[in-house]
Amino acid sequence: MTTLTAAWAPEPAWWRNRVVRRFLGHPLAVAGLAMITLLSLACAFGPHLLPYDSLQIDLRSRFAPPLTGDHYLGADPLGRDLAARLLMAGRISLLVGFFSMLLATLAGTLVGVIAGYMGGWINSVLMRTVDGFLSFPTLFLLLALAVALKPSPTMITVIIALTSWMTVARIVATEVASLKEREFVLAGRMLGLSRTHIMFREILPNVMGPIIVAATLTVARAILLEAYISFLGFGIQPPLPSWGNMLNGAQQYLDRAPWLAIIPGLAIAMAVTSFNFIGDGLRDALDVRGDHK
Amino acid sequence: MTTDQKTFIEDHSRRDALRVMAASAATGIFAANLLGQPAHAQTRPAAPKGRVVVGVTQEPTVFNPLMPHLEVDDGVAFSVFDALFRIDPKGVIVPNLAAEVPNQANGGISADGLKWRVRLRNNVRWHDGTPFTAEDVKFTLELIVNPKFRAWRTTGHSLVRDITVVSPTEITWRMEQPFAPYLSYLTETFIVPKHILGAAANPNEAPFNQAPVGTGAFKWGKRVAGDHVELVANPSYHGEGPYIERLVFKYIPDMTVMYTQFRSGDIDVAGQAFITPDHYKEASGLPDRAVTLVPAGSVESIYLNLEKPQFRDRAVREALYMAIDRQAILEALYHGVPRPTETFMPPQSFYYKPDLPKQEFSLARAAKLLDQAGWKPGPDGIRVKDGVRLSFNNSTTSGNSLREQAQQFIQQTFAQIGVEMKILNHPAAVMWGDFWTKSQYDSAMVGITYLLASDPDVTLRFHTRAIVAKGGRGSNNAQYSNPEIDELLDKGTRTFDPQARREIYHRVQEIIRKDLPFLPLFTSNNVYGRKARIQGFVPNTNTRSEAWHAAGWKWA
Amino acid sequence: MVEFLLKRFMQSIVLLVIVSVIGFVILNLIPGGPMAQYALDAGMTQDDKNRILAQLGLDRPLWVQYLDWAWRLLQGDWGTSFRDSNPVTSVIARHVPATLLLMGTATVIAVSIGTVIGIRGATHRHSAFDYLATVGAMVALSIPTFWFGLVGIYVFSLKLGWVPAGNMYTIGEGSVLNHLHHLIMPSVVLALVHIAIWSRFMRTATLDAMGQEFVKTARAKGVSERRVVMKHVVGNALLPMITLAGVQLPSLLTGALVTETVFTWPGMGRLFLDSLSNSDYPVVMGLLMFSAILTIVGNLVADVVVAMVDPRIRLA
Repeated sequence: MTTLTAAWAPEPAWWRNRVVRRFLGHPLAVAGLAMITLLSLACAFGPHLLPYDSLQIDLRSRFAPPLTGDHYLGADPLGRDLAARLLMAGRISLLVGFFSMLLATLAGTLVGVIAGYMGGWINSVLMRTVDGFLSFPTLFLLLALAVALKPSPTMITVIIALTSWMTVARIVATEVASLKEREFVLAGRMLGLSRTHIMFREILPNVMGPIIVAATLTVARAILLEAYISFLGFGIQPPLPSWGNMLNGAQQYLDRAPWLAIIPGLAIAMAVTSFNFIGDGLRDALDVRGDHK
Repeated sequence: MTTDQKTFIEDHSRRDALRVMAASAATGIFAANLLGQPAHAQTRPAAPKGRVVVGVTQEPTVFNPLMPHLEVDDGVAFSVFDALFRIDPKGVIVPNLAAEVPNQANGGISADGLKWRVRLRNNVRWHDGTPFTAEDVKFTLELIVNPKFRAWRTTGHSLVRDITVVSPTEITWRMEQPFAPYLSYLTETFIVPKHILGAAANPNEAPFNQAPVGTGAFKWGKRVAGDHVELVANPSYHGEGPYIERLVFKYIPDMTVMYTQFRSGDIDVAGQAFITPDHYKEASGLPDRAVTLVPAGSVESIYLNLEKPQFRDRAVREALYMAIDRQAILEALYHGVPRPTETFMPPQSFYYKPDLPKQEFSLARAAKLLDQAGWKPGPDGIRVKDGVRLSFNNSTTSGNSLREQAQQFIQQTFAQIGVEMKILNHPAAVMWGDFWTKSQYDSAMVGITYLLASDPDVTLRFHTRAIVAKGGRGSNNAQYSNPEIDELLDKGTRTFDPQARREIYHRVQEIIRKDLPFLPLFTSNNVYGRKARIQGFVPNTNTRSEAWHAAGWKWA
Repeated sequence: MVEFLLKRFMQSIVLLVIVSVIGFVILNLIPGGPMAQYALDAGMTQDDKNRILAQLGLDRPLWVQYLDWAWRLLQGDWGTSFRDSNPVTSVIARHVPATLLLMGTATVIAVSIGTVIGIRGATHRHSAFDYLATVGAMVALSIPTFWFGLVGIYVFSLKLGWVPAGNMYTIGEGSVLNHLHHLIMPSVVLALVHIAIWSRFMRTATLDAMGQEFVKTARAKGVSERRVVMKHVVGNALLPMITLAGVQLPSLLTGALVTETVFTWPGMGRLFLDSLSNSDYPVVMGLLMFSAILTIVGNLVADVVVAMVDPRIRLA
């Protein structure tokens, strides 16, 4: 049996959907979406299209500046093509970002829904655990974990997720707590629907908005965090390339070959900015913030 | 010794005493000169002036020289403290706090090597004015072996018994067994004051450790944690100098930043870990700077874990060695700064064997060697023999980009002969923990200083009983075991005559070159940089710090 | 309110215990103890190292070590650094001022510039300025702080030579001017992200306030737009600003960590990295607890303020 029927008219074609229209009305959000799509496609297929392999060491082309021969973005200290390495690194950085977001969102939503709906001491325990994790400045926790556990991409994904789920949990818990007292929930309870059903089939869909926004912003943050710890030397280890560890290697060549630092930084900036724009657009489109404007 | 002889030596200048002893002294290493300047005839320097800032890439944090510390801490130790002896740049051991170097010729060491007698100077004072005596030496040696004290190195010291203070300037002891390297170890054993550290309740946490008092050319000034350590001149130093008023060790964690500060003049001397090879050329061209290549004592190599099935076969090790394009690595990656080598012995050592077989780079011959040894390429191109794939990890400290580049280059070359080398790097704390000490690695890329205090004894590295993974004690991380080597090493520690020792260690180098427990890459040269106006700067690779004789530095 | 505060205080204690356990466990998962840095030192035998590990109490079972550490912590003894044998409290204390200087300057810059930009963006909504400010803020939030630092060093230090490339001051020149010279770039770099946050926050707060009744009333009364905004907006935004400041604390610490690395600043962040690399457990634990305390206090302040402002949110 469906719940609130008033707000749910028969679905129009997706491009006429209100949310989508509002999203498309945000030039920045659209730009972000376009950028990230391009970036993902480039990272996925680019390496196959470029003339050089990302692993090919060629000591004669060391430190080639951008636009030397076929090295469109130049070459790194071992003569490897920077463009190829950038895109390969992008795969890792983007994948780590995406999957840690997935893990964090799942965990955070679960904890948030339960804590927000159940209230009482369950809420206390769960929220205090959230607070416990939040009490560590992210990077401190991240670094300590990265040193304790082996820094493989999988581990890094898990670790970043471990430091990101709390924000989602908090947002979800707050939303669920305020939705708890609404009519459709009371109606459901009176109808004798089980708690699990109410939590996950009634309330959760209504919280999707904030969750999606939070998820998008989590990806952005995750990509940034991976860059931070790889830059400090504790993240993805060479020879596996990631945008962060490319920056680590670039610091000492700053005066000689600044493009080694500038280019990966731009890539990170592009990816993270895109996700932030998208998240902002989604927040407005889904009307998450409410009725201020 | 009779009182007459004692008085004779004390009353006359050092040079006279030398003449008396030189007649029967053993040739070579041991001499009794004090860096060319007789102590009594020393000129009191004009008031020290100026300040020298030494940049270092690790923070000096340990100021009690008897506790575990790094090379950068030694820079401070050499300035604040003195040891009984000193090693000069040529490897000659000279007296410092001692009046003479004991040996079997002058009776300082008995014929069986067991009884030692050291005569000390009588004009040395601690920074607080108290006179230095043999009691301080006794205290120091006993503190090192005190089970409650966190001592840095106990090898050699643990063999010392019955330390007796005969007079304020004479001390004797007995060794449990003859141990020739001990003399060299004593050049790195700084003497600490009994009247201060002895009075502390817990020497591990005494205030002395934050404000050390020594007999050296510089007194403790102050420390700004995380930033720098400042020392001030000791005007009543018993030796040469000091000519500068203040000596500062500035902590700059990043080598590139340190080089930038060297270039801009913010620091006067680029200390540990010196200038990176890729800046060598540019640094040499800087105006008002003196940049030199100084051999370091460490040898960079691919260290193999000989218990791994891939490395048990000597043919494999030889083939791998032949498959390294050393020339390209040294010239392209390291900008020609280090020198190729075939052995663990640094080339500037008296014991170095110069004519060892040279490595040749030949992929064809390497492949043939592997074929002949039964390692045939498998379906994936990687060689296999008896079910063992010629695939292994190579590990080093992550974040060392030159090493990482070398690893990737070697990985690519090895792949051409069907050898799969996977790169598995770890942060330093992990890399050098159990992973290294308990021989859990496959192969590693390391720079190792094999010699302690430039004594050729390498028992701790190559003796069978030094394999920790098999229950031994030492640092034989390669798990190398060769009975002939064991015998030679044992003999070497019992022999005191330098010429005889040299033959022993030549043979050791020959055998190790043949066995290849590690694949030598190069012997490192450090790029020393300093402002050209600093005089008296003498590199000494027999010591652990470039600031070993800051007492002699002065501004032109 | 008092009851709420008390309850939160108790919960904070519980929180600290949880934090300390998590931290302790993580640290002891880290392979390679404090003797790892001496692994290549052939002069130290494994015996020597084992002896020292025993002297440091590291051979006892983990829970014993934890209880010992916790018990001492309660008595004010935070332990002794493995590296320089100083009490952890004094080690941290010596590095705190540098970080506080950096964080404080960055906050001042961020709040002042961010507020101006935010208010202007709100009052001139949908103008080019507003648009640029929004985009600029988003971009600033997306770029890693250390990248700003690296580019900044490249442009302003290496190429132009306007500012030094690192450290707090030039040795031998401890003048205030010299300190300021060294402070500029690191604090600006650290502030960039926070300028973005504050500007967006102030923009929202200003917009909110501008829609309120009393503002319309004041406008009707003829009070100048500017005064209306300044007096009522800022006044109303004060509490949320405190909230934001409280919540920003941990991210400031994190940002400081990275900035200190890039600019060789001898602060807590630098100390954390060095101690972590050298397995100086007591100092790492001390820093973890210290930053956790700061964060918990910051969150507590933020929560109290939020509760005071929005009674809908039940105080769980």
